[in-house]
Amino acid sequence: MPTDDVRSRLERFLQGKLGATTKITAFDRSTEGFSQETFVVEATTGRRKRGFVVKREPVAGLLEPYDLEPEFRVLHALSDDPLPSPPTPWFERDPGVLDRSFYVMERLPGEVPVPAMKADGSGPFDDAERAAIGPQVVRALADLHAVDWRARGLAFLGDPGPGTAAARREIERWAARLERTAYPAPPILATALLWLRRHAPATDVVTLVHGDYRLGNFLVERAGASTRLTGILDWEMVHLGDPLEDVAWCCSPLWRAGSDLASALMTPDAFAAAYAAVARRAADPERLRFYDVLALVKMSVIMLTGLRGFSDGRTSDLRMAIFDHQLPFLAMLLAMTLGLPVG
Amino acid sequence: MLIPIERLVDGLVQTLLEQVLPDVGSRFARGQLYAVVDVLRNLRDRIDERPALLEAEAASAEAALVAAASGLRGGAGSEASGRIEAALAAAPASPVAERLVALRGAVVLAMHAIDDLPPAVADPARAVLGAHLGGQALREVALLKPSLLAEISGG
Repeated sequence: MPTDDVRSRLERFLQGKLGATTKITAFDRSTEGFSQETFVVEATTGRRKRGFVVKREPVAGLLEPYDLEPEFRVLHALSDDPLPSPPTPWFERDPGVLDRSFYVMERLPGEVPVPAMKADGSGPFDDAERAAIGPQVVRALADLHAVDWRARGLAFLGDPGPGTAAARREIERWAARLERTAYPAPPILATALLWLRRHAPATDVVTLVHGDYRLGNFLVERAGASTRLTGILDWEMVHLGDPLEDVAWCCSPLWRAGSDLASALMTPDAFAAAYAAVARRAADPERLRFYDVLALVKMSVIMLTGLRGFSDGRTSDLRMAIFDHQLPFLAMLLAMTLGLPVG
Repeated sequence: MLIPIERLVDGLVQTLLEQVLPDVGSRFARGQLYAVVDVLRNLRDRIDERPALLEAEAASAEAALVAAASGLRGGAGSEASGRIEAALAAAPASPVAERLVALRGAVVLAMHAIDDLPPAVADPARAVLGAHLGGQALREVALLKPSLLAEISGG
């Protein structure tokens, strides 16, 4: 579907929600977010302008098979929560509207710093921004894990139960996705899966887990020492599980943007300690190591899924093709995290 | 590389023509873009991954598998040793790409074969196979160019 067609059809959808005089007065396809199609929209009804972000299921993407409804239900349930998640009023599954499922979020202020070093070698934050935003990122994660998911009606995500069940469910989730790519398991990945199965840790608490909580999914309003975290984005991998999964993901070497800092904010040890203090929950190093390895396995499988879509000709989005030469970097990180001799 | 080169070139050409060309304004730039497409289309059926890269990985995998199988012979590791040797023997001698696929499969098989063995039996084999995996990761990373992810994400 050409972009112009998306715009006009989306305008008709918004007219049904906001009033017949609503017009889309600005429209752009975002380059951020590799896993879903993202459109940034300004809708004007009379004199009132409102910003929205529309997330649509892609033809081929990194998180196949797609079902946008669970993340919509979570975001919708959290819409009035103090947590900075985007208020998300509408979900549409009818293919007659935009061909594929989509949901609409309110656009929050700020920008999304990307997890990569800039051409001049600088990172995404300066010292003042880092000092301001780091504690907010830790606090928001602790708040997210404190959400009463039963009271919010989020039990549909599936409570894995106590003990090692949460860790084992994640191992099998990603092993199944790897199998679905139909690539032979790369030896380093097969080795990591065996290691994970031998080391699945127990958790004493099951919380809401964002699943992709890290630099690149933080919306930030820059103002030096007053820099604010204005949004937590990309809830595609939300589930119930071990909260330390999010801590390890946020601290993963994948998102350090050329620094040695967790999400380019603070050292991983400092992040884990700050989280433990705010959440009043021990950040056990062995559990964190398990989720460090899981994070690299997850990302490898996500990349393989994108490569499968490109190889099959279901997409020619070259952002999928670049994973072919990023996988070796993940293989090296996996080898190092597993303690294999590198070099 | 997991994407077949022909498909990679087809995807490059499709993206250039459908996603880039419509937004290229100047006539000279459009002409250059068409030239890129012309070059790519003609490269498509002439290029292949360098055999030396595949041969280096295959040699490393084979050496690790031989060492692992040898270390497991006798006692509790005998069955695993036999399975690894059988997988090695089944790997075709050529072409190198097919040999490499078979050897990668053999490494995975070996890791599974030793997974339930007592650490004293499995650890020496795990170490030689792990050294191969770590060394291969390093060889591949050495080929990487600086990432343009910031530019790709930022547009």
